[in-house]
Amino acid sequence: MLVGVDTGGTFTDFVVQDGAQLRVHKVLSTPDDPARAILQGLDELGVTSARALIHGSTVATNAVLEQKGARTALVTTAGFRDVLEIARQTRPSLYDLRVERDPPLVPRDLRFEVTERLDERGNVLTALDHGSVSAAVNAAKDAGVESVAVCLLFSFANSEHERAVTEALRAVGLSASASHEVLPEFREYERTSTVVLNAYVAPLMDRYLGNLERSLPEETPLRIMQSNGGSISAAVARSEAARTLLSGPAAGAVGAAYVAEASGFTQTISFDMGGTSSDVALIDGDLIETTDGRVGGHPSRLPMIDIHTVGAGGGSIAWFDAGGALKVGPYSAGASPGPAAYGQGGTEATVTDANVVLGRLSAEDFLGGGMDLDVEAARKAVGSVADRLGTSQEDAALGIARVTNANMEAAIRVISVEKGHDPRGFALVAFGGAGPLHACELAMAMQIPRVIVPATPGVLSAYGMLAADLRKDYVQTIMLGPDDDTSGIEPLFEQLSEQGQREILAEGVEADRIEIEPYLDMRYRGQSYELTVPWTGSIYEARNAFHAAHQLRFGYSDPDEPVQIVNARVKSFGRADRPEIPRSPFDSETAASPDRARDVVFAGSNGAETRKTGIYDRDNLPAGARFDGPAIVTQYDTTTVLPPGWSALLDEAGNLVAEPVEGGRTDG
Amino acid sequence: MADHAKVAVDAVSLEIFRSSLSAIAEEMGAVLTRSSYSPNIKERRDFSCALFDIKGRMIAQAAHIPVHLGSMPDSVATALAEFDSFAPGDVIAINDPFGGGTHLPDITLISPIFVGDDHFGFAANRAHHADVGGMSAGSMPVATEIYQEGVIIPPIKLWEGGEPNRAALALVLRNVRTPDERRGDLAAQVAANRTAERRILELVERSGRERVDAHIDELINYAERMTRATIEGIPDGVYEFTDYLDDDGVTDEPIAIKASVTVSGGEMTVDFTGSDPEARGSINAVASVARSAVYYIVRCLMPDEAPSNAGTFAPVTVIAPAGTVVNANPPRPVAGGNVETSQRITDTVFGALAKALPDVIPAASQGTMNNVTAGGIDHRTGQPFAYYETMGGGMGARNGLDGLSGVHVHMSNTLNTPVEAFEFAYPMRISEYRLRDGSGGTGAARGGDGLVREISFQVPTEVTLLSERRRIQPWGAQGGEPGQCGENVLIRDGQETQLGGKKTVNVEPGDRLSIRSPGGGGWGKKR
Repeated sequence: MLVGVDTGGTFTDFVVQDGAQLRVHKVLSTPDDPARAILQGLDELGVTSARALIHGSTVATNAVLEQKGARTALVTTAGFRDVLEIARQTRPSLYDLRVERDPPLVPRDLRFEVTERLDERGNVLTALDHGSVSAAVNAAKDAGVESVAVCLLFSFANSEHERAVTEALRAVGLSASASHEVLPEFREYERTSTVVLNAYVAPLMDRYLGNLERSLPEETPLRIMQSNGGSISAAVARSEAARTLLSGPAAGAVGAAYVAEASGFTQTISFDMGGTSSDVALIDGDLIETTDGRVGGHPSRLPMIDIHTVGAGGGSIAWFDAGGALKVGPYSAGASPGPAAYGQGGTEATVTDANVVLGRLSAEDFLGGGMDLDVEAARKAVGSVADRLGTSQEDAALGIARVTNANMEAAIRVISVEKGHDPRGFALVAFGGAGPLHACELAMAMQIPRVIVPATPGVLSAYGMLAADLRKDYVQTIMLGPDDDTSGIEPLFEQLSEQGQREILAEGVEADRIEIEPYLDMRYRGQSYELTVPWTGSIYEARNAFHAAHQLRFGYSDPDEPVQIVNARVKSFGRADRPEIPRSPFDSETAASPDRARDVVFAGSNGAETRKTGIYDRDNLPAGARFDGPAIVTQYDTTTVLPPGWSALLDEAGNLVAEPVEGGRTDG
Repeated sequence: MADHAKVAVDAVSLEIFRSSLSAIAEEMGAVLTRSSYSPNIKERRDFSCALFDIKGRMIAQAAHIPVHLGSMPDSVATALAEFDSFAPGDVIAINDPFGGGTHLPDITLISPIFVGDDHFGFAANRAHHADVGGMSAGSMPVATEIYQEGVIIPPIKLWEGGEPNRAALALVLRNVRTPDERRGDLAAQVAANRTAERRILELVERSGRERVDAHIDELINYAERMTRATIEGIPDGVYEFTDYLDDDGVTDEPIAIKASVTVSGGEMTVDFTGSDPEARGSINAVASVARSAVYYIVRCLMPDEAPSNAGTFAPVTVIAPAGTVVNANPPRPVAGGNVETSQRITDTVFGALAKALPDVIPAASQGTMNNVTAGGIDHRTGQPFAYYETMGGGMGARNGLDGLSGVHVHMSNTLNTPVEAFEFAYPMRISEYRLRDGSGGTGAARGGDGLVREISFQVPTEVTLLSERRRIQPWGAQGGEPGQCGENVLIRDGQETQLGGKKTVNVEPGDRLSIRSPGGGGWGKKR
């Protein structure tokens, strides 16, 4: 038995795989102690032991966003303790006269310096002054900190000084995170920020996971999702906590990739639209990763799934700016009062209200009929937008939906076209409470040819946890110019691979399920963004791969230009025994008939058109069921809108696959 | 709202087109950042990208560098005036400050966009190149004529019909110190424009030319409405203020910039009449820089989501008399006008507006970009190197809110070069990088502190400093104290020498240069 548990702001989601059987469960989250909801859910599911419990936690993320992490100190090279605060000397917003920056996670009086200095190759320019080390250690101890980050200049090239400082801190019983252990990669601000994030959250994760492990059923190993889309043992997560900072959204993307692959689609865009924000990620065979991540205002250079978040979701408010354009978000009605349709006093038009006015969301099937929707309140709210537009309520609601989709389109462009991928070759995997409501119209606007709505769109993150490999990442800056000796690369990869092999073996993975992938980060000499290419053992091939990658990403390459090798990377995987997705083969498609019908509004050639629309309960659809739009598919926690001109099939993997039957109409 | 008989433009389609067009300008920036060579462009993001229609009206600009706000359209206007016809694959290059440029290192590339056989408009981007020749490495010298500042590129077709103009390219590259880097940066700039062309083509295919054109017109009207609404929020009146540049680097005399701001309904006029005559040294601004500074201020008073296009600044008139320091004539040197004088123009206009909006306008910020250029031969490679960097400082305090410390202010927001990247790239080291304690002015709210960055040299190096607020402090607002002046100090054999704000020095191995940037002014009387 495998259990995936995703702790969210409102609900804690469970997916249990037991042989060929999959069970799904939700309980209300308990933010004061997230473990309580987990234990309650396991109890309700009757789980007494499991082969593994894979958990996505928000403990670390929330600690950073709410600035409630451990009291943390920082030790740096003399002259550089302010690097953390100066950051990259930019203000977050260009034209905002009241712009503010997130305060550094370590205040100035807890930032200490040691006398030492290395050059860029790790040669000692100034020897480590042990007196200054003792002084820093004592100062940290006297200040009553719980955790210390250590980041000395060029420690990735020679870790001797940093190791001595770290050992001195640990010798007096302080928990210490060292940059050469967390991220031996150049660029001191980003490295400092990453190691500070780790030090800041590690004590909390240590306590939380320690308690959770003790409370879990015996013989149930606990694994934690990481931001890179892989999982790791709780023991490792307790000390390398920064690797878990964005694990929830990452698991959603892993889940999207996994279910889409079951239907034969490996090039997909995951689209998770929730109440206040939406996450998008691109899967081009593999999930696209980035080392340019941020948690709040704090950069982390640890590999993570490249997820782009936009501040618009079902609860986002529609409003007019001073020039008279209609905007949606980032202001949100939140959980309270929520959209006007929730009848809790909200009066401003939200995306949800627009969907109610359009007949796309209906009380009879919202949350399984468990929640009333106040249609009159929604009409009133959308009506004020309509008055301003001088249109009908239905046209105003369509306008709100289109502007919402334009927000989503902008987000998808950031992860696709801006990175050299054409979305017209991808399938859109829609999930979250509002994703399937908007996905087909969004796909039309972007000429995306296909939409996939998974069987369990409300718990896809927990589902993704079951499919996640065990994973560890390693990096080492080497910085070799075109004429430099490259004979050290292979031994370095051997060393990193050996470490990867050993550490994944220690996770209890069998040797034949371990895969090691070596990569090089490269750039043209003088550039300062690197592209990552596979290492095949040949510098020549690596250079060719780099030129090709540059061509794909930026539209040009120059084989005559000298190439620098910046970092060596190793990804070590313990391949997961992925749960079998239950399949229901069928001989031929069957025309499905709707369970009922109601009026739903769609965009016609002359504005809003009301169409009698079939409503299908997803639970009643057999594999092979085929139906045409306009149609609405309802299930417990989401509603799928199939516009006119689209056709959908429930395939044997349980995915609803929707495609336009005629050339998709343009929008915009 | 629909002005076009055939095409309906409404509040919804307006927002969707705004989003599409600004996404194109942003994508150009993404291509340029990631594929350019010089740290200036990719690490510091010292560039701007914009789209224009066939009449040269700006349609969209990505919010990258404020000092390019008013000057990008001037470049396109120059190109339109110079050439009778454009063909697909043409790329016009220009850096002439007296013809729509800012200063010589900013090279603008303009590409006509064709949709089939129809000329749609232009994609343009401007990037600050690390060196364009001239009397000192990095091309930000303390000069007395523009000819000393580098190679001047009048509007020329650097590519024609997709083919490079090899003679022109060779001539330009032969006049710069690091031609390989320049070639790479120019290729990245071309790639950015090409991206825009592809996206416009897709947009027109998707929506139809007529519909796109109608929305461009309406987007320009929309931006103008937003600006008028903003200006209407400022009390009518005439507001005056004078601020000063320290000197021009040639003589020690302060240089006055005088602004008279007239607000009347939804329109604003900023008149610089009475400002000092153009100077001998390189702190002269060209008119497009003066306009950019004014536009920046208007943009700051507008809501976040306001678009940048030809309509945005239509209600704003800038009067910059020719022959003054805010609108110099050729062949005056102008390298510092873009980076230094633009900051002082901003301080001056904010100073005037503080009389109309005392609770809104902050105290003066550091008022400089602390430009450092350095060049020599890298002993590790035997190759020449050219380094250019600017430094943040203290931000002026706001009403009830301290100024930020160690950030770029107003007309710039470029990134620093990481110490570890710097030392891999150049034969120099950073020996200290910290906040400059106590340099912000006190008050009810404190000005932000400046920075200290100390460079130590390993090879003989020519260093040029172009910096301001070394003599005249950034002012406090509403009774707040001024911020501290900046300092440039050469440390040789333990002896400290004050270098002043603008200077070229030849340093030797072992010498150190400590640049200490100014603090921001305080806001309100300290209680």
